[in-house]
Amino acid sequence: MTSRPLFHSALAASLPAVALLSGCQPPHPTGQLVVASKSSLASVDPVDVTTHAGLQLLSAVGDSLYTAAADGQLKPHLATALPQISPDGRSARIPLRRDVLFHDGSRFDAAAMVFSLERFRSLAKMGYLLDDRISGVRASGPYELELQLKRPYSALPALLSSISLAPLSPKAYRQHQSKPLADRFVGTGPYRLVSSTPQKQTLLPFERYWGPPPRNRGLHLVTLSNSTALFGALVSGEVDVLTSSGMDSDQQRALAQRAQQGRLVEGIGPAGEIGYLTLLSDRPPLNQPLLRRAVALSLDRELISQRVSYGIRAPLRSLVPPPLAGSEPPAWPAYNPTEARQLYQQAGYCQGRRFTLPLTFRSNVPADKLFALTWKAQLQRDLSDCVALEITGVESTTAYRQLADGAFPMILFDWSADYPDPDIYLAPMLACSKPKGQQCLEGNAAAAGSFWSAPGLQAELEVSERLSGPTRLPLLRKLQQRTAAAAAYIPVWQVAPRAWAQPRLRRPVFDGSGRLVLQALSVR
Amino acid sequence: MSRRRHLLRYLASRLALVPVMLWLIASLVFLLLRVAPGDPIDALLGLRAPPEARALLRQQLGLDQPLLVQYGRYLVDLLHGQLGDSLTNNEPVTAVIGHSLPASLELGVVALLIAAVLGIAVGFSGIARPEGKTDLAGRLYGIGTYALPPFWAAMVVQLVLAVWLGWLPVGGRFPATLVPPTGSGFYLLDSLLAGNTQQFWGALRHLVLPAATLGLLLSGVFANALRLNLRRALDSDYVEAARSRGLSERRVVLRHALPNALLPVLTIAGITVASLIGGALLIEVTYSWPGVAFRLQEAIGQRDYPVVQGIVVVVAALVVAVSVLVDLLVALLDPRVSF
Repeated sequence: MTSRPLFHSALAASLPAVALLSGCQPPHPTGQLVVASKSSLASVDPVDVTTHAGLQLLSAVGDSLYTAAADGQLKPHLATALPQISPDGRSARIPLRRDVLFHDGSRFDAAAMVFSLERFRSLAKMGYLLDDRISGVRASGPYELELQLKRPYSALPALLSSISLAPLSPKAYRQHQSKPLADRFVGTGPYRLVSSTPQKQTLLPFERYWGPPPRNRGLHLVTLSNSTALFGALVSGEVDVLTSSGMDSDQQRALAQRAQQGRLVEGIGPAGEIGYLTLLSDRPPLNQPLLRRAVALSLDRELISQRVSYGIRAPLRSLVPPPLAGSEPPAWPAYNPTEARQLYQQAGYCQGRRFTLPLTFRSNVPADKLFALTWKAQLQRDLSDCVALEITGVESTTAYRQLADGAFPMILFDWSADYPDPDIYLAPMLACSKPKGQQCLEGNAAAAGSFWSAPGLQAELEVSERLSGPTRLPLLRKLQQRTAAAAAYIPVWQVAPRAWAQPRLRRPVFDGSGRLVLQALSVR
Repeated sequence: MSRRRHLLRYLASRLALVPVMLWLIASLVFLLLRVAPGDPIDALLGLRAPPEARALLRQQLGLDQPLLVQYGRYLVDLLHGQLGDSLTNNEPVTAVIGHSLPASLELGVVALLIAAVLGIAVGFSGIARPEGKTDLAGRLYGIGTYALPPFWAAMVVQLVLAVWLGWLPVGGRFPATLVPPTGSGFYLLDSLLAGNTQQFWGALRHLVLPAATLGLLLSGVFANALRLNLRRALDSDYVEAARSRGLSERRVVLRHALPNALLPVLTIAGITVASLIGGALLIEVTYSWPGVAFRLQEAIGQRDYPVVQGIVVVVAALVVAVSVLVDLLVALLDPRVSF
């Protein structure tokens, strides 16, 4: 007795079945597009949203008071003009548009804006964005908002361009004034959120939108959990647009090559994310500024950028990424092994004595691991007589947890801005509430793991926060030059967001906050 | 004592252990999560938040309380059937499990069917000529599929059938442009009940690759188990007796040997079902299948304590329930089992 015929007939039946299934692809609704990314979305409430994917969604269904263009220029959006700042710089009045409706049909006004900002302050995980700057919010007229500032702050319009502060309908959120609403969003943006699950959100154009209508008839934002699947989904035509957030460099490079061959179209936005090294400056072995400067000179960014990311992560020698003010000229020195060797020698190394440089990287971030391995090999090649890199991987949440304890002599991190302003890059690393000479005992610099400060640095930071325009520029440069000279931080690379679309679509474009402009996606 | 009373006693003894096992598992998960480095505040806020914001969020989430107080609250809530709310979006954990468990079960059931059919076909194929070519191929198949790393197999299948050939979707559970069916959460069943063929084909197309991959990987276990047990059964006295009575070989195999050989396979199926409920992690992640294992992996990354604890306890309860059920079935079907 044999069951071979049974096996063969099962095999013979399975092939037509697969062929039949492959032909049963559901029709693509005309004008609607599928946009894929890696991150799933647990909540669409601005008070919960902290991820790039969440902010991307909010930018389509919500509006901010100001928006940043791709060149970094801010312009009024729901506001009608830039804030009118009081002479003492501690209050700001913002006139608002009168022709805006929420998705539930209710009218947007100053009271709605106050409701939304107060709700954000009391509930949001990122409530510190406002708490650090704003002490009070009130409606000074039906369409005029008044903000009380804790201290003068020139980047207020940039702060208010944060999409996390998008107004919400007080009518829709009345029951959720003191608790988040995870799966619904009622704002004023160009799209209505029709349905939302962590893996998929459906958006349809809001017919009564005050601004220009979207160029497409709706969007399906889907999540695929790994880089290979995302790549495959775009290449096979299953999705129309793909964003680069969370994608491996190999796949990004392959997509860029396809774009060069005309098989896809590629859009690149302004870099909002930076990668940098934090050096523990108040404890051995890196408490010697000389050694820290030697380390800064030992980093071959160009080589590492190519080896780790095929140049996708562009080398960066400034804590503020271009095109923001203060990013040029770069304050940190370029790779210079000769000068680095001299400094190591001055510190007592290189003559038969090798400095062991400990580097911690986040083991769950592939680019960080590649950085560590590549830098180790580069130092072995160029400066093996002076320095050896000792690398250790820790999971990212563990790293965050132990950073403020001074657990890592040197660690690689990345930083993404909530809004496009130099202050949001500098203050979180340099601000210090309790400085003592070259040391920061309490404050952001301690929480960031460098514990570095300098006499007069805090005063300069505060002045920089007050100034704007060309008068601010020299101070921004000076702040970075001081930080570069101390080498408590070493910028490594910048990451520009990218998106790829099927060739029948227009080139994806980004706003100044590094978010894909979803309403501009359309067929050519 | 009658067989029925014995059976009830056997069942009661198995069930009596269930609460103890669940308590142990729940306590272990609670402790291990807190012993592990990192905490939810860091996962939620990352590097950005100042210490005051961290302290405030810690207080809001009740994580500033002593460990014993947190444990006491957790156990009391658990006794009342409350699994708490997710730390990332405040969604009740029961709802999180309610969304993701049907996805895992649907995938698991279809994969198990594929595994059983394939495994039995392969296990059966070498019976006619032991140590022949077909038998050898079947053995190699069993070992090969068992030894294949799931993530590698899944990626190869995904690359070939979805990316290169474009026959089936790369991942996800349902077409992005369609509205998923509502009801039980089992999309195939719900779309059939609604009579919506577009939804049914959409759900089926997305299910084929993950279920086939998982089924293929599991089928080797079934094949080897059936092959070994069938061989043993065919060498036994009662089969010899059947043959000597002049019964056809087909009848001997199908009526006498196979039912006995399938009993151990039933036990294996039970263990497989139990492991599938929460254990198809690599398949779910590769195919972006939004099941419990996928959700559990996300929750661990986010240090979302209530979701991790809730999923582990519910999955553990299901695994225990399936194990008890299989033991009971085997006890009922196999007169040799004493209880």
